Amino acid sequence: MTHRLMWLLGATLLLVTPVASAEPFVFTAIPDEDETRLQKRFQKVADYLTDELDHDVRFVPVKSYSAAVTAFRNDQVQLAWFGGLSGVQARERVPGSRAIAQGVEDTEFRTYIIANEDTRLETDAGLSDEMRDLSLTFGSKSSTSGRLMPEYYLREHFGEPPEETFSRVGFSGNHSRTISLVASGAYQLGAVNYAVWENEVEAGEIDTDAVRVIWKTPRYPDYQWTIRGDIDDRFGDGFTEQVQQALLTMDDPDLLESFPREGFIKADNDDYAVIKEVGNELGLLDP
Amino acid sequence: MTSLTLHEVVADYGEGRVLGPLSLTLSPGERVALVGKSGAGKSTLLHLMYSHWRHRNAALIPQQLGLVDTLSTFHNVYMGGLPRHSIHHNLITLARPFRRDIDAIFPLLERLEIADKCWNRAGELSGGQRQRIAAARALYQAGSVLLADEPVSSLDGPQAAAAMTALTETYDTAVLAMHDVELALRFCDRVIGIDQGTIALDQPSRRLATSDVLPLYAS
Amino acid sequence: MRQSASIRLSLAFVLVAFVCLLFADLQISTSNPWQELGRLALGVVTPDFAAVDYLGKAVIRTLAFAFVGVALGAGGGFMLALCFRHRVIRAGCAIIRAVHELFWALLFLQCFGLHPLTGVLAIAIPYAGIFAKVYAEILDETDPEPAHALPASSGRLSTLLYTRLPLAWSHLVSYTAYRLECGLRSSAVLGFIGMPTLGYYLESSFAQGHYSSVGALLLIFYVLIATLKLWVRPRLLPLYLMAAPFLLGSGLPIAWSNVSRFLTQDVIPAPIRSGEGIAGLGPWLGDLLTDQALPGILNTLLLTQIALVLTGALALLLFPLVSSHFTRRLSGTAGHMVLVILRSTPEYLLAFILLQLWGPSMLPAVVALAIHNGGIIGHLIGQRSNTLRLRPDAPHGVERYAYEVVPRLYGPFLALLFYRWEIIMRETAILGILGVATLGFYIDSAIQEIRIDRALVLILITALLNIGIDSLARHLRARLRLRYRANSRQGC
Repeated sequence: MTHRLMWLLGATLLLVTPVASAEPFVFTAIPDEDETRLQKRFQKVADYLTDELDHDVRFVPVKSYSAAVTAFRNDQVQLAWFGGLSGVQARERVPGSRAIAQGVEDTEFRTYIIANEDTRLETDAGLSDEMRDLSLTFGSKSSTSGRLMPEYYLREHFGEPPEETFSRVGFSGNHSRTISLVASGAYQLGAVNYAVWENEVEAGEIDTDAVRVIWKTPRYPDYQWTIRGDIDDRFGDGFTEQVQQALLTMDDPDLLESFPREGFIKADNDDYAVIKEVGNELGLLDP
Repeated sequence: MTSLTLHEVVADYGEGRVLGPLSLTLSPGERVALVGKSGAGKSTLLHLMYSHWRHRNAALIPQQLGLVDTLSTFHNVYMGGLPRHSIHHNLITLARPFRRDIDAIFPLLERLEIADKCWNRAGELSGGQRQRIAAARALYQAGSVLLADEPVSSLDGPQAAAAMTALTETYDTAVLAMHDVELALRFCDRVIGIDQGTIALDQPSRRLATSDVLPLYAS
Repeated sequence: MRQSASIRLSLAFVLVAFVCLLFADLQISTSNPWQELGRLALGVVTPDFAAVDYLGKAVIRTLAFAFVGVALGAGGGFMLALCFRHRVIRAGCAIIRAVHELFWALLFLQCFGLHPLTGVLAIAIPYAGIFAKVYAEILDETDPEPAHALPASSGRLSTLLYTRLPLAWSHLVSYTAYRLECGLRSSAVLGFIGMPTLGYYLESSFAQGHYSSVGALLLIFYVLIATLKLWVRPRLLPLYLMAAPFLLGSGLPIAWSNVSRFLTQDVIPAPIRSGEGIAGLGPWLGDLLTDQALPGILNTLLLTQIALVLTGALALLLFPLVSSHFTRRLSGTAGHMVLVILRSTPEYLLAFILLQLWGPSMLPAVVALAIHNGGIIGHLIGQRSNTLRLRPDAPHGVERYAYEVVPRLYGPFLALLFYRWEIIMRETAILGILGVATLGFYIDSAIQEIRIDRALVLILITALLNIGIDSLARHLRARLRLRYRANSRQGC
């Protein structure tokens, strides 16, 4: 009998959520590459913002792109570092939310199509019919650079959905994993975020003999910081402005390098109209 | 209490008929011994009676005793009194019995000489002890009629007599399936013999001697 | 006669699996898996406990989620078991247990976000459905005579408390304790989607190739499960249950408006939400069925049938490892360890490792499912074989296996395999998240696209498919008169 009582007790306790004294400002980021790196990068950002804003700022890691969007939508985080597509998904679901900053590079982002050496596809070989019937992995299903844009350009070139062009189409989950799957030959081709690729090449983590870049997509807008619309009411007038300023004035090379971005510039929702269009076209967004 | 009756009852097992059709009436204050060789249909008849009379507060001691092995002697006996108490009372008793109930049950156990096993689990006890628990349960129930299937078969002479005395003092109306004919004649005032599913003998016991009953056991 | 009926059925299943092989994509396509695998092997044998900063916390969270989830599931399941007679309750329980924990978690993530409630309910709800069924079976298996001998009008509750419950108690307790082992696995697996349990770190370390951390995490997990009997004692249980709710962590706060939004908007099909009305529902549902549900169902069935037969074959090969008829003390202990590892390694990880080895196809998923489930059935059949008494002059080795042991165990073996049929199908869900195009894959896609309405329809289809397989299995078991006591069918 006592057990039953304890279960009840447990259930009740569960429902009591802790009450924080001052509401912390929480942000998250899409998990687009190795987690330890993300954790390190965004912890630094959290510390930076805490100093700049004089407010408790926390970073919460999530396991998937959709979890980032859901956390933003559920108001469990108020700010997020989204990709192009996830940003559009999030802003569509949270009225009033807006893009406030993007990396300098994000106005002209691109995707690299990479190939395992066994395919005998040469560096910068371009899109060709020799790619037909090979296997290809995208990154996360909701990734802009890892799925949306490369799929768009591949469709455009081959005139058919990727499932018909390639023998097999997979989703690795993130860019780092795409690179390692193509390196091991598990997939012959991969679509990867160019910034992650360059970063890992620079860090010497890729054997560029085993994996090579065979094509680079045209440029498109990608990552951005998106903030909820009700922030000023909750954290004080001008808080959104302060957050934006703090992001734009971020100039610590150590911090910026970890993204990696040269710096941040202003952004707004309209910058991502093209992403929204492509998302609709590929059926990833509801029109 | 009005008489208890069965009218043209039958029992089938699979394709075959094992009992009946038979009718009988049990008057208040009548104690009936069911005799007959094993397989004659005594247990079946007792279960039929139980299903007909259960709601008239019949108490049952089945051949398998119906004890809950994981509970103590006390609790097994207490079960006879479940309807007399509220549900909370029963619930609390499961965790911690009330003094009042212990005081009521303990004398019954003493009388059947198993008071020392009051807090032992029924599963740990011997066949004879278990049989006395089932008897004590019927005593504690103190229903209007007792239906018992070989209630003292595992007890030795004096113990069997003591248990029978206790049961018959509490229940003046009873049907007892017995294989010990002498004991049956001693404690019952009517004897019903069952043979091949029908009533082969129905006499007041004072008119019968052991030898009159024995033919029922012949094959 | 019965013997040949079960042989005929087995052959039919093997035949079906072969037909499935023709349609399944089982190609091996990797060119250079050895480098990565070598690092993995090295990492697993050189576990690095310092590498995982949050190890202690992760262990505590894993235990806390398992305890609270299983306790709530057991409490709820018990209540449901009492009214299991009612058709509505039975059907409801069948549906809630047909949906995998991961899908429950993905749904609750939508309304509760990263709050402990998400993880706890994701375990508690499907477990309540399972507990309800098994508890009801156990209660039904008790001796009815004591209840029969009670005075009339003893009341239903008192009758239950004094007769069926104490009679069934030890079985209920041992089943619940064993479910706790499953709860630990589920709790760990929930980490894959963001709950702060061992799986969270396992997935991260794995994805990043920190194989020494993987080794450490796996080792801790095996030890937790292998030593369960040592630290889960009836006396300590109240203590654990009291402490567990406080050790779940606080996560992120719940906004209750999200729950109502989830129920009133997210789950409403898109055409109705956008005002197209019922007319738009037909095409929406039609597209969903033909583009996603049908291929998903097909792949789920292919994967399930092939994995089922391979599971059976593997179980028959593995059980001698833990059978006293074939092992000595030392080799028996080693065999036990092998089977513990096989059955407690999450399929997700197995499939991920095999994906590195063979490349992306159905093959890694088939083998991962077969290894995990074969480990479980092999363990149970091995235990069962230890209750067999062979004549002193029985043959040895292969002859003993083929003439004495397998013929006696084939019935229970088939029964277990049929019980696991539905479970194997449910597990294909996790592998869908890894990229095998089962229904789980399309559900994950819908969740990624934040189209909960679609996800819900697909989850419902998955549940119905599971229920269908379950009733088919029940039908076959009944026809061949194959039974296995509820309490002994252990394996998550």
